[in-house]
Amino acid sequence: MPENERIPAPLIVEALKAAFRGQREAPATEGEPLGWVLSVPDTHQRSVIAELEGDNELRLLTCSTEDEANAIAAGLYIGGAEVALMIQHAGLYASVNTLRGVGLDGGVPLFALVGLLSREPELEPEDSPRSMVRFAGPLMDTFDVPHALLETRDDLGLIPEYYALSRERSGPAVVFVGRETA
Amino acid sequence: MRPEDALRAINEARGDALVVPTMTAVPAWRTIAPEAPSVACVGFMGGASSLGLGLALAQPERRVVVLDGDGSLLMQLGSLATVAGAAPANYTHVLFANGVYQTSGSQGIPASGSVDFAGMAEAAGYAFTTRIDTLEELRIRLPELLSVRGPVLVELAVEEAELTPMTAPGGDPLRVQVERLRERLASEE
Repeated sequence: MPENERIPAPLIVEALKAAFRGQREAPATEGEPLGWVLSVPDTHQRSVIAELEGDNELRLLTCSTEDEANAIAAGLYIGGAEVALMIQHAGLYASVNTLRGVGLDGGVPLFALVGLLSREPELEPEDSPRSMVRFAGPLMDTFDVPHALLETRDDLGLIPEYYALSRERSGPAVVFVGRETA
Repeated sequence: MRPEDALRAINEARGDALVVPTMTAVPAWRTIAPEAPSVACVGFMGGASSLGLGLALAQPERRVVVLDGDGSLLMQLGSLATVAGAAPANYTHVLFANGVYQTSGSQGIPASGSVDFAGMAEAAGYAFTTRIDTLEELRIRLPELLSVRGPVLVELAVEEAELTPMTAPGGDPLRVQVERLRERLASEE
């Protein structure tokens, strides 16, 4: 894929900030982060993770597992903070019980950017020969979790849209990152 | 040490701390501290330490006390490193170590009796760790454990609990607990 078609990481970071600002009832006070990003490192989003490491408004926390990230997100939400997860599809599969318990039973608005590593750009994810890619969307359908596919700059509005959707539904919402970010 | 006695001591010393109980601590805590600002971790296995971490990061001026189990912690043992990495100064992780998965029938945990949880927390990078074997010592040390710079892990050698979430189901659904505590914290700001 041509380099200029990949979404630059700063644009995704700005979209996350817009998502958080859209939900905050008051601006962040001095020393308070605008919001948190909980990451279990994902290959597709590695440039975004690198960008976040130098960001002054968002706080990046690396977690050992996606289960942890879901539960930490619940605690941050209860405590009044804005939070998003950045994980990989394999981690989505690995953390399904916590997604169910926290997001569905607990009604916690879990918003996640989920990288579809090894997804073939010329194919729709559901047509991928790779089970990890092909079943990610249907898995979310099984849990009635709304999801969308982020591929180009034109899709960046999906981030604040689905973040707001997770809050409105009091439950999970997922944006799959279909291509590696720049 | 009876876990119920330990929970009563913690309740008497907790001040305005936020509390995250899990598994066998849940039914007892519900009775002992019904008015405490709490949210229980049941159904997402081993999640208490992480749920408490999120609370501690969002409410840095407030002590957060996690009432964890040894079997539960083993399910998310990497959370020790995550907590240590986040380094919340207001985090006290109380580990009820009874050596068994009591809720599912008291099967022994792996390497029961030989796992050094306080040692693992220290190795992960917790700021303060200790093991306590008696209720008397717990009562004496609680003020320190709830105020010293965290993250703190205190491993309590306890007997099996009187009740489990299986023998004493009930309490509010998680969704209700989540919104109630969130609203309570928002109203206190």
